[in-house]
Amino acid sequence: MNNVIAKSKDVTLLEILDRVLNKGVIISGDIVISVADVDLIYLGLKVLLSSVETMEKLRGSPFISPMQEAK
Amino acid sequence: MKLYLYGIIDSSDEITDSIYGLEGSGVYNIPFCDIGAVVSQISQPIQNVTEGAVLEHEVVVEKLMANSTVLPVRFGTIIDGRDSLLSMMQSYYKNFKDNLARLHNKLEFGIKVIWPADKVKANIIKVLKKDGQKTLQSDNSPSKRFVEGKFEEYKIGKEFDAKADKFIKVMDIFFGRFAAEKKLVKLKTENLLLDAVYLVEKDKQNDFREAFEHIKSGPPGLKYLFSGPWPAYNFVILPKKSGLLTDSQKTDLLGKVIQDQMLVGANSI
Repeated sequence: MNNVIAKSKDVTLLEILDRVLNKGVIISGDIVISVADVDLIYLGLKVLLSSVETMEKLRGSPFISPMQEAK
Repeated sequence: MKLYLYGIIDSSDEITDSIYGLEGSGVYNIPFCDIGAVVSQISQPIQNVTEGAVLEHEVVVEKLMANSTVLPVRFGTIIDGRDSLLSMMQSYYKNFKDNLARLHNKLEFGIKVIWPADKVKANIIKVLKKDGQKTLQSDNSPSKRFVEGKFEEYKIGKEFDAKADKFIKVMDIFFGRFAAEKKLVKLKTENLLLDAVYLVEKDKQNDFREAFEHIKSGPPGLKYLFSGPWPAYNFVILPKKSGLLTDSQKTDLLGKVIQDQMLVGANSI
């Protein structure tokens, strides 16, 4: 059960990172001290975010049943 | 003193709740006309992007969301002092106001739908065979088999795409009617059927959740990831400014990222 909760948290963390690192207001200009690594880190993260296999691993269980049409 | 910026809110009032942000510093509002920039003081630029820092940022934004409309600012935005901040607010004021008005009383929800792509494709092949159409197996010459194979792949791909469209259309009928705005991405990967974000009015969020619960009981084999409510990260519209990385620059950097294994939270994942 704890394992399931931990996995859910990991999925939530991915959702948070997806938003906080890549979305929202982006202010540019000399007045902003940018964190150069953010773009780089998000790019790496994007690989994880688009990987359903990763999400499936995080969710813990394989597809229980095939789609109705595939029967 | 440098200021770490969390978000822009539709209020110029002082923040009365005790909210602490990065470095444990108190969060406060710097008013500009009738809106405000929510900041905390920060001693130095962020050296490392850590999970902890990202979560601290998000917690502040979510607390702001409880009492205000908030335009969340991307992680790591540090302004070089109060005067610079006010100057920035002046130049962005109209855009901020427009966004705050549009996003007032609205929340963002995320929905990801995963389907078993391999099984869907297997079913498509089965149906094509049943219909008497040629499949990948052929007893003709290698060159003809190659062309037929490519055509077969095309037909399967087309059918796969059509099935995805069909599912997404049905799902969007459920969710879309409670949404003020939406962004749908089909088949980001073969298994990720739908990656969607919906902007939902606060008083419709229960209806939206109910729609989700209802659709969960739909076709078996689909998996759903529901998240929210979030501040409207995906629905802030600002004009693009120079100085941001272009897509090609980002792609060039990707190799370096993987090489350096600079993945946030990779160890925990």
